[in-house]
Amino acid sequence: MLRKLTFLAVSAVIAFGTLSFDLQQKSEDPGDRLVGIWEPSNGRSRIKIDRIGNKYYGRVVWLIEPNDPDGTPRTDINNPNPDLRNVPLRGFRMCKDFVYQGDDQWSEGTLYDPNNGSTYQGTITMRDMNTLDMRGYIGVEAIGRTDVWKRLKMPSRKKK
Amino acid sequence: MFKYLRTIGIAAISVFMVASCSGPGEIHEYSVNDLEFSLEGPLFAGPNSGQAEISIDLAEALGEGYVEGMRISDARLTSATVTPNDTLGFANINAFIVSFASDNEDVSMQEAAVKNPLEEGAADASLAVAPEAELGEIMEEGKVYVVLDADLAEDYWDGNRDFKLNFTLELTIK
Repeated sequence: MLRKLTFLAVSAVIAFGTLSFDLQQKSEDPGDRLVGIWEPSNGRSRIKIDRIGNKYYGRVVWLIEPNDPDGTPRTDINNPNPDLRNVPLRGFRMCKDFVYQGDDQWSEGTLYDPNNGSTYQGTITMRDMNTLDMRGYIGVEAIGRTDVWKRLKMPSRKKK
Repeated sequence: MFKYLRTIGIAAISVFMVASCSGPGEIHEYSVNDLEFSLEGPLFAGPNSGQAEISIDLAEALGEGYVEGMRISDARLTSATVTPNDTLGFANINAFIVSFASDNEDVSMQEAAVKNPLEEGAADASLAVAPEAELGEIMEEGKVYVVLDADLAEDYWDGNRDFKLNFTLELTIK
C-alpha cells in the first residue's frame, strides 16, 4: 500500500513538473506576445492574431459593417483569385506568415487589404504590450504606411 | 492566452495513392480521411479556428514506386468535405474555410476551399475548392498545418466543437 502511494505521489510530482515546464515553455516564447485581439486605428475592424506552427496570422473577427446593404454577410469580393471571392470577410486572414525576429519585431509576413484586393509586405513592431505598429509596403520598407493597432481585452461571458 | 487561441487537431489519417502518368511529372492522388479538428471553447460568434498537422512521406505513400530524390513539384486540392464529429452537427455554423500552411518562412499560407453559406440541415459540407491555390511548396515541406475555420452564428460557451475533414490532393511528383 505504502509503495503504491509513494509511486502515485512520485508520478504526480513528475506529471506536475512536466506540465509546469510545458506551460512555462509556451508562455515564455516571446513571439507569443503578439497573440491577442487588436483594433486598427480606424476602429472599423478587430483582428485576432494567433500562432500556427512558428508563424503568426491575424483574422478579422469583428467588422463595424459586417453585412452588405442587402443584409448578406460581406465577402472578399476583391480577391484576385475569383474562386475565393465567396470567402466571408469576417474571418478573413488578412495578416499572414509573420515570423518573430526578436527585439519586439515580426516580419516576413504579408498584409492584405480587402478594400482593393492588394497584398503588401509587412512588419510588425510592438511598442508596448498593448500597442503595435503595423507597417505595410511594396518593395522598399521605407516607402510604406504604418497603422497603430491597440490590444483589446478578451470578452468575458455574457450574463444571462 | 495562447492555450485559449490554439486548437489542436488529432489526425486519424488514412492515405491511398492512385498513380497515373503525365509529361512533366507523375500525378498522384493523395487522400487524407477523418482528420480531426477540435475548436476549443469558449467560442465566440464569428470565425474560430482549429488546426491539425499532417506529414506527407513520399517513400511511404509511393511504396515500391518511390525513387530516392523524388519530390513534390506541385499540389492542388481537388476535393474537401467537412463532417460533424459531435452531437451538435453543424448547428449555428455559417461557413467553413480550409487553409494550408508550413513553417517555411518563404512559403505563404494558402486558402484552398470554402463553403459559404452552409446549407441548413446538411449532414456534411462539400467545400468549393480553389484550383488556383498552389500548394506544392507547402506539401513539399513534409510537415503541413491544415487549418479549418468555422464561422459561428453565435457564442458557444459549453465546450468544444468537433469536426472531421476529408480531402484529396493532386500531387505532381518529379
